[in-house]
Formats: sequence, structure tokens, C-alpha cells
Amino acid sequence: MSEPEGVRPGARAGAGARAGAEARTGTAGTGGATGTGPGRLLVAVYAVFALAAGARAGVQIGTKFSDAPLAYTLSALAAAVYVLATVALARGGRTSFRLAVAACSVELAGVLVVGTLSLVDSAAFPDETVWSGYGRGYGFVPLVLPVVGLLWLRRTARSGGGTLAGDGRPAGGG
Amino acid sequence: MTTVLATAIIVVALLAAAHALVTALRDRPMGVDHLVVLGVLEVLLVAQAVVGFVKLADDQGPRSPATFVGYLLAVLLIPAAGAGWGLLERSRYGPGVLVVACLAVAVMIVRMNQIWSGTGV
Repeated sequence: MSEPEGVRPGARAGAGARAGAEARTGTAGTGGATGTGPGRLLVAVYAVFALAAGARAGVQIGTKFSDAPLAYTLSALAAAVYVLATVALARGGRTSFRLAVAACSVELAGVLVVGTLSLVDSAAFPDETVWSGYGRGYGFVPLVLPVVGLLWLRRTARSGGGTLAGDGRPAGGG
Repeated sequence: MTTVLATAIIVVALLAAAHALVTALRDRPMGVDHLVVLGVLEVLLVAQAVVGFVKLADDQGPRSPATFVGYLLAVLLIPAAGAGWGLLERSRYGPGVLVVACLAVAVMIVRMNQIWSGTGV
């Protein structure tokens, strides 16, 4: 882990403690940062979807963008949201927590809006995206995932772990 | 794609998922045995990538192979990433990650078969 020179003690302790808290709650198994315990499963599923959506968007935009610019742009947006959610959930800490909430909310809105539009106005969506038909091409996991993500974030916030624990503890790692 | 290899990968992936699931249900962390199984899976996936590219070069397979190549390469990342992410967690959720990873591999192989044969694209 490389530390920039002349970094303020407070900032350094915060970053270090966050990594330390993650490692510590890893052994405890529950609570704590969003990327440990059951959250690790959530991050794993998110990572798979980040990969799936990203690869799909890359192929679509790289090979036939002009066929359906709207659908493919949405594909890329979905991929970006999944990547953001994966990273934010995996990292934990206060800023990441907010990012994760935002990403999951955008994702939920996206799957609902795009899912509805793809059924109502199928002409605008000639090709599938991860969010088409509420994610039916992916076993409706894209619909369930943001809900589970938001519930998990709420639970970690309540247990006092994820959001604040890292900042209060002395530097254990880093 | 060769049916034999694809079937072998799916079987190994499902067995690995079941093995990891049992470990998770028994509340144990990941062990060396999981890494060995993932290693076998990864070797099979590399073999599939080689066979896949040879066959594509020989003009077999789907007409626009971009998606297929994407799967062929992306699936290689899954066991390695799953192992790394699972090892960080010294609880039952470590093998839990492997369940997700192995099931993802199995689903991706099924999807690759569909793309290869031109059905369900």
C-alpha cells in the first residue's frame, strides 16, 4: 500500500482504519463494512453483473452502435452503475456507502424505467440490454439485486458498522 | 466449442459449487481443497479458450464472434477473481463467493453454447 508523502495524520488514520476494520470484521463474519460477511456475496454477484453488462455494452457499442444508439447507451450506463456499485460496496467506508446507495437507487430506477419502456415501446429497444423486460434475460436478477443491495446497506448502517466504524477506530492496517 | 469440453466444464463447475455450498453450510472458511478444484476449473477454461480460438480461426462458429470471444475471455477471470475475493473472507461467506462464481461459470458456458450454435442469441 503506497502512502503519499506529507499526508495529514487524520486522513491517513481514516484510510488505514477503514482497511483495518474491513479485515477485522472479516473474521467476525457479520456486520461492519458493506463488503464483508454476507456483503461479500453481494459484491460477488455485483461483480459478475458488472462484467456481464460491461462486456455486453462493449460488444454492442464496438460492433453495431448505429443499430440502436439509445439501447446501447443505456447498456453502457447500466455497466457503469454496476461497476460503481461493485467498487463502492467492496470498499466500504462513509463515501463509498453513499456512492453505493446512489448506485443501487439509480440501478433500481433504471431497471424499472427501462424494463417498462422496453415492453411498451419495443421499437426503441431492438436489442436486449441487461435491464430489458426487467432483466428477464438474466433471470430477473437485475431487478432483485438493487433491492437486496439497498436492504443490505440499510442493515450495515443500522448495525453501526459500515458507515462510521472505520472513522472512529485507530489505524490497525494500512 | 466442443460438447465434451463444455459438458466437462459445466459438471466441474456445478460440483465445485456444491462442494463450496456444503462448506458454507458447515460454517467453514475456504481451504486448499477449494483452490485445487478452482484450479482444475481454470485449466479446463483455458483449454476451452485455446480450442475456441483455434476453431474460430478455422472459420467455425458464429458469424459475428465478438460476443463469443468476450465470453471466452471473461469466463477465465471468474475462478481467479472468486478465489481471491473468497480468500479475503475467513468465514462461511468465503466459500459462498465460490458458489456464486462457479454457478456464473456454468451459466456462461451454457450461454456460450447457445451463441456458438446460433440459438437464443
